[in-house]
Amino acid sequence: MCFTQNFWNLFISGIANGLVYALIALGYTLVYGVLQLINFAHSEVFMSGGFASYFILNALIGSSQPHGLASVGFVVLGIVAGATGGGIVAFLLERVAYRPLRRRNAPRLAFLISAIGASYFMYNLAGKEFGRDAVSIPSPFTNGTVFTVFGAQVQTYYIVIAVATLVMLVLLDRVVAGTRLGKGIRAVAQDAQTASLMGVNIDRVISQTFVLGGLLGGAAGFLFGLNAGVVYTMGFTPSLKAFTAAVLGGIGNIRGAVLGGLVLGVAENLGIACTQSSWRDVIAFGILVLVLLIRPTGILGERLGRSA
Amino acid sequence: MSAGLQPRTGSAARFWRSTDARRLFGCVVGALVVAVMTGPSGSASAPTSGFTGSLFRPRAFVFVALGLALWAVMTFRSRFGDVVRRANDRIIATPRQLLVNRWYRYIFYLAVFAFAIWYPTILSGYWQEVLVDQIGVFVLLALGLNVVVGYAGLLDLGYIAFYAIGAYSAAYWTGALPIHPPMHLNPFWAIPLAVLAAMLAGVVLGSPTLRLRGDYLAIVTLGFGEIIQIVATNLTGVTGGSQGVIGIPHFSLHVDSLKYVWHVKALPYYYLLLVFVVIALAAFRSLERSRVGRCWAAIREDEVAAEASGINVLKYKVMAFSIGASTSGFAGILTASKIGFIEPGDFTVQLSILILVLVVFGGMGSLIGAAMGAAVLQWLPQFLRVHPLFGFQPQDLFIYLGALLVVMMIFRPAGIVPSRRRRSEIGLAEHGVGTADAMSAAGGPVA
Amino acid sequence: MHNKWFRFLLMLGTPFLAIALVLPVSSTGAFAASKPTYTIAYEGPLSGGNAQLGLNMEYSVQLAVNQANAGKTFGTLPFQLKFVPEDDQGLASVSPTAAQALITNTSVVAVVGPAFSGATKAAEPAFNAAGLATVSPSATAPALATQGWNNFFRVVADDNAQGPADALYVKKVLKTKKVYTLDDASAYASGLVSAFDTKAKSLGIAVKHQTVQGTTQCQEGTGDVSEYPPLASEIKSSGDPVTFYAGYYCDFALLAKALRTQGYTGKLVSDDGSLDTHFIAEAGARVANGTLISCACADETKSASATSFAKQFKALAHFSIGTYSAEAYDAANTVISVMKSTGANVTRSSVLKGLRTVDYKGLTKTVQFQSNGNISGTAVYIYQVKSGKIAVVGLVSKLAK
Repeated sequence: MCFTQNFWNLFISGIANGLVYALIALGYTLVYGVLQLINFAHSEVFMSGGFASYFILNALIGSSQPHGLASVGFVVLGIVAGATGGGIVAFLLERVAYRPLRRRNAPRLAFLISAIGASYFMYNLAGKEFGRDAVSIPSPFTNGTVFTVFGAQVQTYYIVIAVATLVMLVLLDRVVAGTRLGKGIRAVAQDAQTASLMGVNIDRVISQTFVLGGLLGGAAGFLFGLNAGVVYTMGFTPSLKAFTAAVLGGIGNIRGAVLGGLVLGVAENLGIACTQSSWRDVIAFGILVLVLLIRPTGILGERLGRSA
Repeated sequence: MSAGLQPRTGSAARFWRSTDARRLFGCVVGALVVAVMTGPSGSASAPTSGFTGSLFRPRAFVFVALGLALWAVMTFRSRFGDVVRRANDRIIATPRQLLVNRWYRYIFYLAVFAFAIWYPTILSGYWQEVLVDQIGVFVLLALGLNVVVGYAGLLDLGYIAFYAIGAYSAAYWTGALPIHPPMHLNPFWAIPLAVLAAMLAGVVLGSPTLRLRGDYLAIVTLGFGEIIQIVATNLTGVTGGSQGVIGIPHFSLHVDSLKYVWHVKALPYYYLLLVFVVIALAAFRSLERSRVGRCWAAIREDEVAAEASGINVLKYKVMAFSIGASTSGFAGILTASKIGFIEPGDFTVQLSILILVLVVFGGMGSLIGAAMGAAVLQWLPQFLRVHPLFGFQPQDLFIYLGALLVVMMIFRPAGIVPSRRRRSEIGLAEHGVGTADAMSAAGGPVA
Repeated sequence: MHNKWFRFLLMLGTPFLAIALVLPVSSTGAFAASKPTYTIAYEGPLSGGNAQLGLNMEYSVQLAVNQANAGKTFGTLPFQLKFVPEDDQGLASVSPTAAQALITNTSVVAVVGPAFSGATKAAEPAFNAAGLATVSPSATAPALATQGWNNFFRVVADDNAQGPADALYVKKVLKTKKVYTLDDASAYASGLVSAFDTKAKSLGIAVKHQTVQGTTQCQEGTGDVSEYPPLASEIKSSGDPVTFYAGYYCDFALLAKALRTQGYTGKLVSDDGSLDTHFIAEAGARVANGTLISCACADETKSASATSFAKQFKALAHFSIGTYSAEAYDAANTVISVMKSTGANVTRSSVLKGLRTVDYKGLTKTVQFQSNGNISGTAVYIYQVKSGKIAVVGLVSKLAK
């Protein structure tokens, strides 16, 4: 009864949400791969990306309404700005909140607490410096229905998200599979100690992994902010969902993160068709708890090293 | 790297590679960050104004000077070291030795207790209120979370959910909710029922999730905290929804002719709280020293070894979790009855994080530490609110708390009043022995 | 041995001394000045997720106090005014402490606030016991006026005034038989929407209702923005010709955008939380045009005093006026006008007494209170967005005849 009316509408917007979740989830998964730690401060990496792209696009677009090639250019610029912002913040985060603890071989609890602290520090500082009211990123394109699938309208925004995410996923796949950094990440994920003995500079690999996750998270901040606006508290809920997505797919597993994002995005959208929209988060966490209980390693299983 | 591989460098270049230089860099950057934290605010239309207003002003020099002073103290510490150590020996170590004597210890406890009874009576109404609403309740909450995080080494980020369950149970049994209980009870009689409800919730949530790895527990509890808040908001017919519940009665006592009703005044609630805090302190202390406490210590130090030596790990984890939950639930009843009104907005994840900060700051695993941490950190914002030093603005509080967490984890992970055992565990973990928390990854410790 | 005892005593004494130093026994009183000094306090959220809403009001009160001290608004006053803000984070659990701080400060003669209904419910027993008048610029829960608190006043209409008026308008003017109602799960909106739904059903309108968590933009909510597109298609497929949204402008703008993108052609109706030019800025004029917004407040964008208020507010706060700024300004000025009429000797009870009979012409409305503290003459106006501007349509009582 609840899937009749607008199943395809919900499905398509669920895919779009899911892709954004996937981009954020990749940040969790990459860091988890090399450190076996949940980066609780990743939500603020995401937020920084939103702000960075807002400042750039607001200065360049202002109140004009770009179209054609200019639109494409601005979207790319927004992604680059968001990714840069996210990357810088992720780099600093690793240096300040993780590396000193790693040096000391601190207990895992200490890392989680330090990351939670860093998260609170960053988002409240952003609220102080950039104002606590939401701002909206000037749209680089005119949103409209591009085509319809089974009566569901596919909008420009969804196309932008899909194309941007797919390009980034392909790039990430190339980086992890084909580059020296990728080899380093996989080596550290499989066995950090051995990798270190083999001459892998662990510090550098970890730092670069944070930056890689930061680039994706920052870009996600832009894509999310494009529709939702940018505000200092924007990181919390999407990141929690993204984490759920990462666990759903199997944390530490890159393809798992993408799959988990899509499944979660669609599932919660279809779920709210059956209940009230306000139960959405309950659906997401319900899925998380169920997955953890039934299959704690996620759909595709854990570990970056083994499956990437 | 050995010196032979280094190109020959001048002494200046050598200085810039040294720990001293790194520390100098850290101190100056840290000072500038503090300058920004305490400086004026910016806005989205002028995103740099906060930074320029903090850094390109004379005040920045003050902070840099403080940073340099800190660097000097840290660098030339060895010279001060003796002085500090000697002072430490005289002022702190000797009294501690004295406390080993049982009679001195009893006299000390008695004096503290007498002071705790007498002192609030001469406080102003505001500080009495702070003492109950902001300090007392949070000391109780911190003591409970200390059992979970400090004793058993489990990270619970949904701790406030149990506080909510306690508060809503109290509202239910006193007849303030839209749905009515079989009989209306005085909040005192609701206490066991509400504590039971919170404990049950702890067991129900804990038993499946505590089988999982530690950091999953953190996320699941975080999610649970959110769910409780959403449920309280959405089930309007049951919980009153986002309008909240008004009219939860105050505590009252009727024993024969004796009748006493707690009221809006804070002081009577303070004494009630004091009794419960003392009970909690005594109970947790004896638990810590019992077989249960030793099992917790074994689990957090090395879960695999604990399991191998026949400890039912899950049972003790669930136990710690539900003890924490019931303490939280109990604090919930107390608050609900004191304020007379609760709403879902009171039970945010932020509050769970805040209590974690209190425990971590004070010292995980240390009863006095957790209580002190709660008292100091809850008192400080109130103090700054009355005396706004350095331009303190309340909306910036979580910036400071966040920074405090990071700094504590880097420089003093065991807290300001560390538990001796925890400190040695962290020391051991740093040398690669044990884990110091029940959170080991499936793949073992990280290199 | 002596030494040992001395140390023991020292050890005993030090912590107590430290505590005695950090918990001040009583606040220092005001210094004697040539004119007596009285404090007008503000209680509302200044930190946490609702800080912006609280700051919107805080600066208004501060502005009113500054202007009064400068003799701009009330001429030369026989007393000096001081302003004290107190942060309650919008939370019921923090509110009693904030309230107690104001009660303990004996120079406080009146409080503008508490801003939120929940915080008001939690703090009012203490304010009431202290006989301190509170004038809330924004607490709209109907229950507040029925608790027997004789010190409670508010300059906004409660949900019971606005919701039914909106329903009446929807029935009589928009002539619809079906309406889709939404609320953002805030205390304000859920109260409003239930008042609306009840009245609408009694008028024979079929009501479909959804709660959609507000996003973290205008106010603290746990929702996120991706929920609006599916919701919009749900509303569109329901075919209801009118959608009533109870909540704030940020979320309403998102919903309106999503609805229009999906091709929904029905009427959009919202409430005073959306009566904000930010709504048009965020939704875009094309989407916002035609939207109906109700408010129990007179047109506040036109008059010269309103523009000058907006300008001076911006000069003080470094951001533009927002939701409830004007109401807070009115509340503060109402209090000052009462104080002025009492003369140099102002007490808490004289302000309380004065507020019962006050008649002050503010920016948003003429302030007069009913005996339960609600504002009298809760005339609900309908506004409409026309070519990118908010224009007044008229009084519901006249339109819905």
